Amino acid sequence: MARVDLTIEVCGMAGDGTIAAGGLLNEAMSAGGFSVLGFDSYPAEIRGFGRCVTRSRIGTERIFALEDKTNVLISLDDVQSRSRVPYLARDAAVFFDSNPPVYVEEEMSLAARVEPETTLFGFPMADLAAAAAGTTRGRNLTALGGFAATFGVPRDLFVEVITKKFKAKGNKVLDANIKSFDAGYAYGLEHFRDRLRDTLKPLPGIKKGPEKVMLSGNLAIGRGAIDAGLKLYFGYPITPATPIMEYLAAKLPERGGRVVQMEDEISSIGAVLGGFYAGARSMTATSGPGFALMTELITHGVMAEIPAVILNAQRGGPSTGLPTKTEQSDLHAAVFGGPGDSPRIVIAPSDVEECYRYTVLSFQLAEKYQTPVIVLTDFYLDNRVENLPIPQATEREIADANEYPDESVQGAYKRYLMTDSGISPRSIPGMEGFTFSATGLEHVEKGTPNYTEENHMNMTEKRHRKIAGALEDLPAPVEYSRGGPLDVGVIGWGSTFGAILEAVNIANERGLNVGALKITSIFPFHGGVIRAFMNRCSEVLIPELNYEGQLANLIDHLHRKDVVRLSRATGSPIPPSLILKEIETLVPAGAS
Amino acid sequence: MKTSGRDLARKVRSIGESREFEARSGELPTWCPGCGYFGIHHGMNDCIRRLGIPLHKVVTVSGIGCAGRYPFFTKTYGLHTVHGRAVPVATGVKLGNPELTVYAVGGDGDGLAIGGGHLPHVCRRDVDINYVLFDNSIYGLTKGQPSPSSPMGMKSKASPRGTSDKPINATLLALSYGASFVARLFAGDKKMIADVLLEGTKHKGFALFHIYSPCVTFDKSYKTWENLKKWVHPLPETHDPTNLRQAFDQVLEDDWSVGVIYRRPQRE
Repeated sequence: MARVDLTIEVCGMAGDGTIAAGGLLNEAMSAGGFSVLGFDSYPAEIRGFGRCVTRSRIGTERIFALEDKTNVLISLDDVQSRSRVPYLARDAAVFFDSNPPVYVEEEMSLAARVEPETTLFGFPMADLAAAAAGTTRGRNLTALGGFAATFGVPRDLFVEVITKKFKAKGNKVLDANIKSFDAGYAYGLEHFRDRLRDTLKPLPGIKKGPEKVMLSGNLAIGRGAIDAGLKLYFGYPITPATPIMEYLAAKLPERGGRVVQMEDEISSIGAVLGGFYAGARSMTATSGPGFALMTELITHGVMAEIPAVILNAQRGGPSTGLPTKTEQSDLHAAVFGGPGDSPRIVIAPSDVEECYRYTVLSFQLAEKYQTPVIVLTDFYLDNRVENLPIPQATEREIADANEYPDESVQGAYKRYLMTDSGISPRSIPGMEGFTFSATGLEHVEKGTPNYTEENHMNMTEKRHRKIAGALEDLPAPVEYSRGGPLDVGVIGWGSTFGAILEAVNIANERGLNVGALKITSIFPFHGGVIRAFMNRCSEVLIPELNYEGQLANLIDHLHRKDVVRLSRATGSPIPPSLILKEIETLVPAGAS
Repeated sequence: MKTSGRDLARKVRSIGESREFEARSGELPTWCPGCGYFGIHHGMNDCIRRLGIPLHKVVTVSGIGCAGRYPFFTKTYGLHTVHGRAVPVATGVKLGNPELTVYAVGGDGDGLAIGGGHLPHVCRRDVDINYVLFDNSIYGLTKGQPSPSSPMGMKSKASPRGTSDKPINATLLALSYGASFVARLFAGDKKMIADVLLEGTKHKGFALFHIYSPCVTFDKSYKTWENLKKWVHPLPETHDPTNLRQAFDQVLEDDWSVGVIYRRPQRE
């Protein structure tokens, strides 16, 4: 079938069922075989009468990023939706309630504000829902019904996902919701069927591939941690990391693990170190402000060589910053935060599938290299949903990666034995003949404190050698290009990379010669690979969601000239169009 | 009386045979001669020996300060963490492997100032760890600044006109926070330390051992050996440690009585 690429928004006021409608839309489109990427935006205040918006991009091809223009707006509230008008594509379709529960002056209505090219699909959502189900509560589903009929989405797709969502609430609730949906669907079939513009392709569903699951980044992290054999989770509530704790609180106990809500982030990382020291896979998840509190104990993990897994779900900063907005501004803190020369591993997934995969990997890295591993995500990645084939780690990927001491050294065990790799076999309390004291003081091989010049130099070198050696187990940069010399090379990390890839793909379709490089291992990083890529590029562009260009600061020196920074501190994801525009200004005139 | 070399050798051998110092490592404690912490060390070793569990199934977690060095002086597994965080780290160790016997040790600065925020929560969480609080009312390792349990008016380089802050009472805090086992002890009574530690270690749930100790180097006026020996006395024989109200009364009325202050009846 024809290529489909639609961005659909549901917009309403808190309490309208906006987020629920967006979720059902995503599930139905996923069930229809489309790729889905969704991202909700809602106010930091729980009952602030704020605006709720869900944005979903639906496509026949894999979706890497959100588009900045919306093709379809499903409005549940005129006043809130008016602010979305500037984001509408020229030929957008707008569904709205023609007889809303709250009266809107005609000239203030959404319909009066849109561009003339917009197709309006006004219908009495609340009235239809009330007539069908005896309540207007299902109005959001009536809206979806109208949309589905207009775009030719099979009714069954929605009925299936509505049933899945509401069946636990009893037949009465389920029945009312299906009736509400059907009322809108019937109305749409009768009145809207043939009014769809040619530019907006219908969505009858495509051939299904493997079974897919709809996951947010946070849920993928939670699943990854459980599949990796997580035993203990310690955490403190903070946006946007809290859903990980809540997911694990529901799921971990049945796997024999425990979730403990601690008194702060300091005790959370402390208990994680304690748990791993005692041999149990342990993790914590936080955001910037909590991560800042953890840094002392993270460097304790570095010095005492104790594993830990710390997820930093970045948000706007500094300080309390923008709690419900996205930013990639904790890279410096993750790589350099804390006292002393304290090398640690920092990795950054760039999509939902990678959130799962690299959470799983982080436990083995932490054990093998006896070090804190920091996984950097951000609000946009944590909260966006993608449909993906059900992720499943292999036995090998979750196996115990500890190196235990050999029996021959029983009684003469040296916990911090000097080795070529820097990795010293680690005993676990309970193992007989291998007792030792781990310490955050500088120490000799046996673990006793020692402050001599030569020892500190040697031990510091050992810890750095160990982390540098981890590079062989860390995901290497991935290049997307035709190869050879490139006019522009775009380097990115984390949630921004999807937008980069899309911009680069479009640029190449337009005949430009550009490439993209995805960096997952933030520290240590594959300097040789990155340098080789940069040296093939006339210009290097690094788009990031931070003001300082933090990744650029880290790798700038690898290049023979300055990299171009596209640094954005707006709290919103970077749209592909912005990157594309920058690429086009960098390509020398006449080049192709 | 002078001890001859032969007598000393015999004494060392007899100590070895008595297994009294079984839990001690070969490391020499870094504490000043005459420090009260030697008595606590002795009492803890004795307790661990009498517990009868192998040393590799015991973990001693500490923070920073003179007391923080404790793990190096035992043969158990040890974890010398950062300032103020022994209790949460010990919580992780115990939950990581519940078969381990876990001690958290630290001083009054470590546990009542920088780490004071953890005390309410370890009490209400009632994790089965044993917290030995070495209280000498001073920051020893940084050379004599006033601590949260120093008396008002204490003069030091950091408080040349005397401190103006009121001292806090760890025993009273633990009772208020709902700790399920609270004992107050004195570094000069090794036997009582061992006996009460043994009882508290067997107690299922969080146990606080608040131990008064002198700092012989930096405190010449308050918790000196002389004063402590004069002030400290056993709890009255009528004290019922299962009666929380009586425990509060006892602690509010008398700062210097030692023994098991409170013990929540155990659920079987």
